[in-house]
Amino acid sequence: MVKLLAPAGSIEMARAAVDEGADIIYVGPLGFSRRPYESEMSDDAIREAAAYARGRGAELRVVLNTFPTPYDFGRFVDKAVRYAADGASGFIVTDIGLLRTLRREIPDTVLHVSIGSGISNLADAAFYRDAGADVIILPYRWDVAEIEAVRRASDIGLETFLFETVQTGKLCPGKCIMSSYLRFRDWKEIEGSRDFHGSANRGAKECYRVCQANWEFGAAGAAPVELKLRRDARLMLAQLPGFVAAGVTCFKLSGRERPVGMIRDLVRFYRRAIDEVVAGAQNLDHHAAELAELRGRWVREKTKRVDTLMDRAASYAK
Amino acid sequence: MFELSTDVGNLKELREGDFSAYDAIYLGDFSCPEYPNNFSSHAELLEAGLQHVHARGQKAYLRLYAVPGNDDLAWVGDVIDTALQLPFDALEVHNLGVLRMLRERGCTAPVHLGVFGNLYTHETAKVLRDFGVTRVYPNPELSLDEVRYIAEHADIEVLVPVHGKIPLVISETCFILEHSEEGAEGACGDGSCSYQCTQEHWLKRGRDDGSRADWSLKDTGRMTLSGKDLCMVEHGERLADMGLKHFYVHNKGEAPGYAAAVGRIYRDALARAFAGEAAPDFAPALDTLAGLAREGLCNGYYFEGAGQRYIGRS
Repeated sequence: MVKLLAPAGSIEMARAAVDEGADIIYVGPLGFSRRPYESEMSDDAIREAAAYARGRGAELRVVLNTFPTPYDFGRFVDKAVRYAADGASGFIVTDIGLLRTLRREIPDTVLHVSIGSGISNLADAAFYRDAGADVIILPYRWDVAEIEAVRRASDIGLETFLFETVQTGKLCPGKCIMSSYLRFRDWKEIEGSRDFHGSANRGAKECYRVCQANWEFGAAGAAPVELKLRRDARLMLAQLPGFVAAGVTCFKLSGRERPVGMIRDLVRFYRRAIDEVVAGAQNLDHHAAELAELRGRWVREKTKRVDTLMDRAASYAK
Repeated sequence: MFELSTDVGNLKELREGDFSAYDAIYLGDFSCPEYPNNFSSHAELLEAGLQHVHARGQKAYLRLYAVPGNDDLAWVGDVIDTALQLPFDALEVHNLGVLRMLRERGCTAPVHLGVFGNLYTHETAKVLRDFGVTRVYPNPELSLDEVRYIAEHADIEVLVPVHGKIPLVISETCFILEHSEEGAEGACGDGSCSYQCTQEHWLKRGRDDGSRADWSLKDTGRMTLSGKDLCMVEHGERLADMGLKHFYVHNKGEAPGYAAAVGRIYRDALARAFAGEAAPDFAPALDTLAGLAREGLCNGYYFEGAGQRYIGRS
């Protein structure tokens, strides 16, 4: 069974994704899921989204993929137990300690390892399986051969982003704290009262995507070149049949911070494409025009978002 | 009383440098297997490096490659197999797959978790302890209070960096090579490395007209470091009072002589602090340390806030 995992940055997005055929939607509680508060949800909204999804045969996962502070660990566990009682069928987590604790406290739940874990090889996947994970999201640097290799090494479920393979660049997220080194803001009231210093990796303090801004780079004394630190990932399509054949069982659409209309269109598009692949299609070229249009919208939104985040960063303290 | 350690990439640097201020040496550059004669990727050099360190009465820890892809696992396994035949005082891992490989091979040596191991909680430290980890390098985003909490609640050693650049992000390919004219002819990892990282490379974002924030980062090719040097020389007393005992000076990417100069200052400052002596005038030490730090000094995240701030003793 191949599943489509879609974002729900708001209750409206949750409804749109379910209506368009997402098998699973994922939501982030305020202050716990590596996104600005505008793309996270209150507990009441999460409960409502869970009910909407379950009522239409879909599932809801809760993203608890920030790294807890040691002081705040118990709050993560308490929230997870409550969400499970409210209808969440699983969680997306990063911290290994949290993974093991949730496996013990909510044994029937589905545990995904977040991209924030920064895995880089098949032995990593085997480690997380040992630690109690059910599904691991693979780096979007991996091609079909690497997916097949990990499939042979472990029976852990395999999930990939709907992005094309990019094999270079700094490892983000999972091995990066550039943003919090450069800029910082305090918790906002809406994110709840928290008693520790945060960062993009720890909730609040959004990542300002400093890697996607323009930098000057060069050896000391030499003329610098202007560049970005990371290449943008492109929405994928042609790789879908190969990934499914290699054993990927879950495709994740990114974008809790995107407009609802864009997520609606993307879920509809990928629902069709995945259904065609499951039915045996090997070539999806007939979707090329629609893919190009969606890619264009994706890039335009991304550019706007980077500008917004950099403007915010400029307004915060060092 | 306390342990002060630093890192050395290869045998040449080990033999030519003065590391006498240190109790322990982390051997190898965990970020780049292509770094010349890197202990982390040259099994045949391990014994010589280990002997050199042990002959000086210091502990020798071996750093294993931080971000191995599937294609790297075989040679990383070879390095591990050689290392396990030698009396290293510990092996350092950053990658949980490599940690699992150590356990599969019956490793009985202590294992340290490195800076890119994403250690944020005491509960994670407990999981890793079950895999043989005896020391953790908490993520640099943690405050000193959080670091102490982990040490106390997970019953595990914590490594506390006290000076040097902060590792911020790592990659599997070389940023310098990818953006150089020479690099365009080859690919990182194909044996054609021209070692341009022997020259300092910097990322800058400031503009004289103030239209951009004045940001600066150092790039060693496969790792980006803070522009400023973490500096805790004024806070030895606090570190001692907190019960922290394992301190580290980051040396990768620095010029020859950096580790020696910094090590001497911290050996003295920490010895005084642990002996309960009154704090000396730190101005001379700060002058020396600031002179070694092109972009200035910071406290990282230890006192909360963004990593670039510096807070003095007062």
